[in-house]
Amino acid sequence: MKNFWTRTIDELSQAWIVTLKDIKVYYLRPGMIMFGFLMPFFMFFSFSVKREMAAGDGMARLLALTIFFTAAAAGPFIIPTERRLGTYDRLLAAPMSLLTLLAGKIAVGAFFAIVVSFIAVIIGIFFLNASIAQPALMIAGIVIGSFTFSAMGLIFGSIPTRNPGDVQMPSTLIRWVLLFVSGVFVPLSEMSTIARGISYLSPLTYAQDLMNHAVLGTGELALWLNLSVLFLSGVIFLLPSIKLHKRGRVLGY
Amino acid sequence: MTHAIEVHDLTKNYSSSGSGELAVDQINFTVEQGEIFGFLGPNGAGKSTTQRMLTTLLTPTEGQILILGHDLADDAYPAKRQIGLVPEESNVYTELTAWDNLMFTGRLYRMSKTDRGIRAEELLRDFGLWEKKDVKAEEFSKGMKRRLSIAMAIIHKPALLFLDEPTPGLDVQSARTIQKLIRQLSSEGTTVFMTTHQIEEANQLCDRVAIISHGKIAAIDTPEKLKQTFQQVQSVEISFTLSPNGLEEKLATLPEVSTVLKIGDKWRLYTESPPALLPHLIKFTEIENLDIVSLNTLAPSLEDVFLQITGQQIGSVSEEPSSKKRV
Repeated sequence: MKNFWTRTIDELSQAWIVTLKDIKVYYLRPGMIMFGFLMPFFMFFSFSVKREMAAGDGMARLLALTIFFTAAAAGPFIIPTERRLGTYDRLLAAPMSLLTLLAGKIAVGAFFAIVVSFIAVIIGIFFLNASIAQPALMIAGIVIGSFTFSAMGLIFGSIPTRNPGDVQMPSTLIRWVLLFVSGVFVPLSEMSTIARGISYLSPLTYAQDLMNHAVLGTGELALWLNLSVLFLSGVIFLLPSIKLHKRGRVLGY
Repeated sequence: MTHAIEVHDLTKNYSSSGSGELAVDQINFTVEQGEIFGFLGPNGAGKSTTQRMLTTLLTPTEGQILILGHDLADDAYPAKRQIGLVPEESNVYTELTAWDNLMFTGRLYRMSKTDRGIRAEELLRDFGLWEKKDVKAEEFSKGMKRRLSIAMAIIHKPALLFLDEPTPGLDVQSARTIQKLIRQLSSEGTTVFMTTHQIEEANQLCDRVAIISHGKIAAIDTPEKLKQTFQQVQSVEISFTLSPNGLEEKLATLPEVSTVLKIGDKWRLYTESPPALLPHLIKFTEIENLDIVSLNTLAPSLEDVFLQITGQQIGSVSEEPSSKKRV
């Protein structure tokens, strides 16, 4: 039992070390700034131009977009880059489990999204004049959503390749599809039955609804459902990442 | 005593259907603790594939690997704690300083803050990088990155160090620093497993070498014993004041000569019997009116052994049969 706890503490500590290292090495890299920081803001402003939108609505959408794009940007950028440079081998050969390594990588994207989300909050409060109905719920939603979408990004990062370009294309494509089927630009209440049914397949729908609860004080779905789906999605997203990493070890990546 | 490395029927097939050519084909070998073990082979022979399987980076198709007594298939964790890995490309974090690179690796191996500080300073001083400890690795030369990469691999004092092609592309001084380090690590009890193309380097450094060809171990022994096994690749090396046209063809026609190779201003004549060749050679120089500058008989080098074993013709990279041939 003592060994179990010692090992668990070691592994958690190593995940944190990986996270800190990636923060130092990658947060200011052009790929992260472009896909993780600028993209959600570009998208928000391009969709908001000349549209009538309440300040609170705008802020909730901006937050959902930021969590979604920023958190999911890290995995597809960092892991293939590290594979290309050979530094990923250093991590795979280190005395830690694959789960620990993936946990560290998820935290990198999640922390990036949390930081960028707070910039979105500042923009919402000071430039859109929005107010926040439930600040604690907003913080919880940002944290849970960031970890979930970072885990989603990790799936693309786990594709066995050494070329970040091979990963960016499918990851961008799928993120755009998820964006358009979710209730970010067209509210759930205005969707047709079929569109609404499809939107329930996207975890972004639940993140958007959670932000509506937090910022506007109201949402279409139950709060517990939003939180549960986001949390469970994060856990489920880990499974393909683990499988793809194992496949990578068979193929030699 | 437990072997540092024990490999049983290790096989790797990259083909998902299992029908492709085997990259590594049921190899077996052991490496003793404290040994410097060289793993030689031509490109594509299976060297790096084997090393990647031994360091847990690649999953074997079949077979068993024991690292310091720990079966990698059961639980790689205790083995991973005791190994260090220096890949062919120096995989340092170029955005971090030399110091930060070492601190990161030390933390990854759960070293205490005091221990990793002391060890990092010791390594940076030994490797001539102390003055550059706060400089980002992106500003380092290839040799400096290589030294830093090795320092990162040994910061936790591993019992077993894997080195993939440790010196190619480095200047002489950097290469010698690394060779000296390998000897020092071995004298301190570290087992070193190195894959290399540098056959002379393996000859000078390794206690034993294995030669892998087409995924199979073709030979495994000490360099000197391997050379003794291949006496047919002895040679006579001769140089003349002048090398007239057609000299190569004429030398190739001499009795007892199997292959002629021009090395700089010298001619190397491969033969199974230098004493039998020498009278013919002296007579030839008299007939051709050639002045000899130097004449030496040479025992087989490890490179000769390597070429014989891997099926490559001396002086070429082709796989033609070993016959009387001008190269």
